[in-house]
Amino acid sequence: MQKLQQETDRLIQTVAREGDRLSGTDRRKFLRNGLTLLGGAAAAVTTGASAEEPFLPPAVPPWSKRLGPGVVTNPYGKPSPHEAHVVRRNVPWLTADRIASISFTPLGDLKGIITPSGLTFERYHAGLPEIEPQKHRLMIHGMVDRPLILSMDDLMRFPSTSMIRFLECPANGGMEWRGAQMDKLQFTHGMLACAEWTGVLLSTILQEVGVQKGASWILAEGADGAHMARSIPMDKALDDALIVYAQNGEALRPEQGYPVRLINPGWEGNTCIKWLRRLEIGDKPWHMREETSKYTDLMADGRSREFTFVQECNSVVTNPCPEKPLKAKGKYWIEGLAWSGRGKIKAVDVSFDGGANWRQARVTGLVLPRALTRFGLEWDWDGSPALIQSRAMDETGYVQPTYAQLRQARGTNSIYHKNAIHTWRLHADGQVTNVQIS
Amino acid sequence: MSRYPEFIALICVALAGNALAENHKKPAGHYGYGKPATAEEIAGWDIDVRPDGLGLPPGSGSVEDGEMLYETHCAVCHGSFGEGVGRYPVLAGGEDTLMEDRPEKTVGSYWPYVSTLWDYIYRAMPFTAPQSLTHDETYAISAYVLYLNDLVDDDFVMTQDNMASIELPNQPNFFGPDPRPDVQNTRCMKDCKDVSKITILSEPQPTEPEAEAVVEVASAAGAMAAAEQTYKSYCSVCHAQAIAGAPALEPADWESRIAQGKDVMVRHAIEGFQGDAGVMPPKGGFVQLSDDEVSAAVDYMLQQVQQP
Repeated sequence: MQKLQQETDRLIQTVAREGDRLSGTDRRKFLRNGLTLLGGAAAAVTTGASAEEPFLPPAVPPWSKRLGPGVVTNPYGKPSPHEAHVVRRNVPWLTADRIASISFTPLGDLKGIITPSGLTFERYHAGLPEIEPQKHRLMIHGMVDRPLILSMDDLMRFPSTSMIRFLECPANGGMEWRGAQMDKLQFTHGMLACAEWTGVLLSTILQEVGVQKGASWILAEGADGAHMARSIPMDKALDDALIVYAQNGEALRPEQGYPVRLINPGWEGNTCIKWLRRLEIGDKPWHMREETSKYTDLMADGRSREFTFVQECNSVVTNPCPEKPLKAKGKYWIEGLAWSGRGKIKAVDVSFDGGANWRQARVTGLVLPRALTRFGLEWDWDGSPALIQSRAMDETGYVQPTYAQLRQARGTNSIYHKNAIHTWRLHADGQVTNVQIS
Repeated sequence: MSRYPEFIALICVALAGNALAENHKKPAGHYGYGKPATAEEIAGWDIDVRPDGLGLPPGSGSVEDGEMLYETHCAVCHGSFGEGVGRYPVLAGGEDTLMEDRPEKTVGSYWPYVSTLWDYIYRAMPFTAPQSLTHDETYAISAYVLYLNDLVDDDFVMTQDNMASIELPNQPNFFGPDPRPDVQNTRCMKDCKDVSKITILSEPQPTEPEAEAVVEVASAAGAMAAAEQTYKSYCSVCHAQAIAGAPALEPADWESRIAQGKDVMVRHAIEGFQGDAGVMPPKGGFVQLSDDEVSAAVDYMLQQVQQP
């Protein structure tokens, strides 16, 4: 019966579509034949408009005068084909290949604070592992009383918690330390996402295995070919670290660690191990490759900071941006995103003159700790060039710094943790470019 | 702003707090889910090595043995002298560059611990076949990388007992704890700088062509598109750049292979092949690929080579 319905839907669609391409006698003939084929079920298509007819008022567009596909035509819904440009993108010259590489979230096209799972930036070190959940296991061992192996079914029996938190690669914007280099918002700030993460508090699992006295670090390790691993301090594990199996209400996407990953809210995305297979409890950090050779911050004096976990307060204007130029002078809703790994956003200011004068923006949605926070303000553009900046302050009172302040403290070689005030140059023709200014 | 979101946030905080408070009441084993991990099961997965040597398995390897292994497994990406091929990591050299404009961070110039070298090679290398090396092979390659950095002599043998005692020169230059926040901006609102003195310091030229979009396999039409995706995701790692003696997509590289017939090519791609110039691991090391996928990727590569 369902198959018959699908077939009928398909035929109605075909008739309507083909009818659109024809005109006059041909069209009437075609529709008559089509209707004969379908019987009375497709009566609505007889009023279908041709493609040449206008769509806008007072005309009625063709889609308002015919039937569309039935339910479960797409059992898993997809974005409109007209949104096909809203995709993750990579920057080929950044990495040797796409297997150990990164892609960027298209921030300029996103609204609100939740990043769609399928647009969340990717970071792989050995490509995307194809994991069968029934054969995946999470092992917890080391300085514990009860070394344990959990299946996904086991894991989902524990008390569940959800939290909306951002996820950011510490290298986000790292290409800009020496000067403005990337030409689009997607590439200056797109190693960033925010989602509702659901899973089991790591502290719950640690209680279940019985952590022994003296334990102070946890090694989290992935099941990918790189066996990506990071050392996590016990304090974070007992605070808010979450073993996650769902993102935005559904099972994690493979790109985000299916079937299970770690989320350390507000901390380096790199510590949020995907495809999590093992937690080892110990009394010292392990100094893995991703916390020595990489993800350490080289200072101007040649020394390096290690274990710089927190993603500090940051913000960026997302409209306008290079991908979203302004069309003509007039009133605009200028908006952007702010976030802090230390807690909630307290205020965001916006400047249109390169940082001389600032106006406080309005926060336009939820204000959650360690989550993206959406801000906006009305601006009347008179058509003259402008230098647009945003500056966020978090609940600790920390104010997002300037490039000059960051460079004075750290030099230009640290790659990670660049959270400087960002400048968009709005040109008189409405185009927007990425600049750094004095 | 409405008070409603704050109210929700308060509830969230309260609930999270309750969850943690509740945890404190639960003894170990309260839920009893899962199964105990046996020593044997743990040993199979517990691959990490700490700077103090904890986790390092028994074994040894010499610089001499390491040289041959390095040439076979590592040099294709990292270069015979650790100089790096393309954008693959440079492993040797770079001394005294850490304060320069373009610091070269290598094992010798930057890495703090030898344990990381052993751990990472065993854990993740070679790139196309992770966890395929034995303990002794890992010792030997680790020893050879130290040798490439002039940190050990050519008769050096790395063992479980001496690894932790080898000091890397840059180790004392790593420090913690994290000193941030290390900058203090203020929230100035008016006349914070002289607008007339603002200059543009840097500005990239906008580029028109879009950066390469990530292709979704499911939306790619037709079998050849799927084969192209297989090639790009897996085969191109070596074949795009003629790494490990792999034929690039150049007609000259393929003449002799095409002469052997497609069946031979597909068999070599699936089962692996040791040639004079290099080695093709079975399915390029991506054993999760089906035989059909590998065969289709060979078709795609042939099509690329043979098209006018």
